[in-house]
Amino acid sequence: MLNGELPKMYDLDQPIRNFVSKRLIEIESYRTVQEAAKKMVEFNISSLAVVEEGSIIGFITDGDIKRKVVAEGLDPGISVEEIMIEELITEDIDITVQEALDTMTKKNIKHLLVTEGTDVVGIVTLTDLLDIKRHSLDTYISRE
Amino acid sequence: MKICQISDTHFGSESDFNRKLLYSLLDRINNSGFSLLIHSGDVTQSGRKDEYIEARRFFKKIKIPHIVIPGNHDARNGGLKLFEDHIGPVNGYKEIDDGIIIYVNSAIADSDEGRVGMVKFDLIKDILQKYTDAGLKVVLIHHHIIPIPMAGRERNVLSNAGDILDLLIKGDVDLVLSGHRHYPNVHKVENTLFVNAGTTSSVKTRYGDVNSYNVIEIGDREQSFTTVRVDGRKSERKYSRKRNRVFYDFGSKIFRVAHLSNTFISNDRSFLRKHFKNAIMTINRLEPDLIVHCGGIVREGITQDYELAVRLFSTVDGPILFTPAGRDLNYLGYHLFPKYMDSFDQKYKTEDVVFQGVSSSQYDSPVGIVGDTQRKALFKKLHESSEGIKAIFLHHNLIPIPHSREKGLLEDSGDLLREVVDAEIDLVLTGTSSHPYAAKVGKTVIVNANSTSSVYQRSVMGNSFNLIDIYEDALAVYEVNSLWGSRRLLGIWNRNG
Repeated sequence: MLNGELPKMYDLDQPIRNFVSKRLIEIESYRTVQEAAKKMVEFNISSLAVVEEGSIIGFITDGDIKRKVVAEGLDPGISVEEIMIEELITEDIDITVQEALDTMTKKNIKHLLVTEGTDVVGIVTLTDLLDIKRHSLDTYISRE
Repeated sequence: MKICQISDTHFGSESDFNRKLLYSLLDRINNSGFSLLIHSGDVTQSGRKDEYIEARRFFKKIKIPHIVIPGNHDARNGGLKLFEDHIGPVNGYKEIDDGIIIYVNSAIADSDEGRVGMVKFDLIKDILQKYTDAGLKVVLIHHHIIPIPMAGRERNVLSNAGDILDLLIKGDVDLVLSGHRHYPNVHKVENTLFVNAGTTSSVKTRYGDVNSYNVIEIGDREQSFTTVRVDGRKSERKYSRKRNRVFYDFGSKIFRVAHLSNTFISNDRSFLRKHFKNAIMTINRLEPDLIVHCGGIVREGITQDYELAVRLFSTVDGPILFTPAGRDLNYLGYHLFPKYMDSFDQKYKTEDVVFQGVSSSQYDSPVGIVGDTQRKALFKKLHESSEGIKAIFLHHNLIPIPHSREKGLLEDSGDLLREVVDAEIDLVLTGTSSHPYAAKVGKTVIVNANSTSSVYQRSVMGNSFNLIDIYEDALAVYEVNSLWGSRRLLGIWNRNG
């Protein structure tokens, strides 16, 4: 601030690796939307990976449930498969925070599945990225 | 890749240093197919020039690539300058195959304490950032980060060990190599192996042990760690390099625990009564099977604080267990705790679970200790319990906690941690340092709670307590804000992996 520059909120060039939730909660494709919603409430999360025989085949967010089921007056007993997003948007765990934010903006999404090699290893949300500053990695111990 | 780790050689006079022994290892070091030799510090006994000159002669005889870092002994008598002149840089990194090895000096001149200050912390962070996609990430640091067993009183841990631990775990470091305590040990914390070497040639071995060095073999799927003692004995541990990150099925929920700490109940303004009352309302709404309070119940061990605590906790639905902090025992607390809160080592047992408390606090002291006798009694009680989930709770920390200067560690944390991990205890709850944190060591999930209702707390999210859900196949830990009841996931772990 003293030299007239805006304060740096955080380093956008750091990899998302440090902030990716390396836990991904999944639901089988034949389960109902209500079961998916219950799982989101149970774990206090906003998305689930949809699996079939162990492989991820889709993705479902709380927004999908709101838009595609509740707002349309559909029965929450329909299967997750019917409303899931089949086109998985993934990014590598080594991309930077800036690149992740760019993808979210371009695709108008708040969740990114994260891959390492060929495996999906976690998820990063817009909230995770915005929370980075609050979860700084270090304490002011000493300069040296 | 096969790495040889030697440590704490203590080049110096015959009374400190077994010269003959160290030179006898040269042939093995040069001709055993090692791709790298690591020396994890305390090259010299006193940081003197003659010691460094002899050490340099020794390293010239090593025919394989090697990295040497300084320890606290090397920083004595202005020794760090001599280290740079005779041995090499004290901080840096080296690329090796598709991996990266980062080495930092943790020694403080003329002190046995360790520290990785902000500049070096940023160095590690920046290099991990630059090499984020490296196939193998190794960090080399003299002072241990995870407490070591059989090392007597826990001391000289890095002052910011919790921050370093968190940085290394989040950066997916594969291997952390340390020395310092002259006792070989290894712990897997999350996906990172923390390896400690014994002393290779100091006469000061521990508990009648002999000198040793470590051999670490890193494959694509497995890492093995072998301590080779100079009398020929070998001990080996193997760890998978597979990273368990994705969960499919949790099974049904077995048990729910609310975990709180440092409520600091009193009529003083530092006790946030609104936060406490809201936290209890949220806990009652969440309907846990058990509530565990890990100490710091009252602000001081005086009658009026305890009487207020009893009144406020009477609004809790369901069973609640307490273990004392030092402040709960102060003044008359030693008499008041058993009078108002029941016994010192409280226990909850059903067919599915056993929660066993162990009092680690001392009268009028923030320092914690369990002690050999109490530790043996604790594991005897646990082993006698039925099969099912086994949990221990105590006030002091078993592992370093981020965002705090490391002083909440139990004096004998190394011994207790080793036994907890070897016994595959499912869960350990602690309550010092007032910062929420959870990590898996071996198969044990260790959870620390923030202050639930005191102004003295360290979570950017505000005062909080933890909620722990134990499923057949997983264990989930959340931090729940005391005032608002909002929650965030601290972690989920597979119970069987």
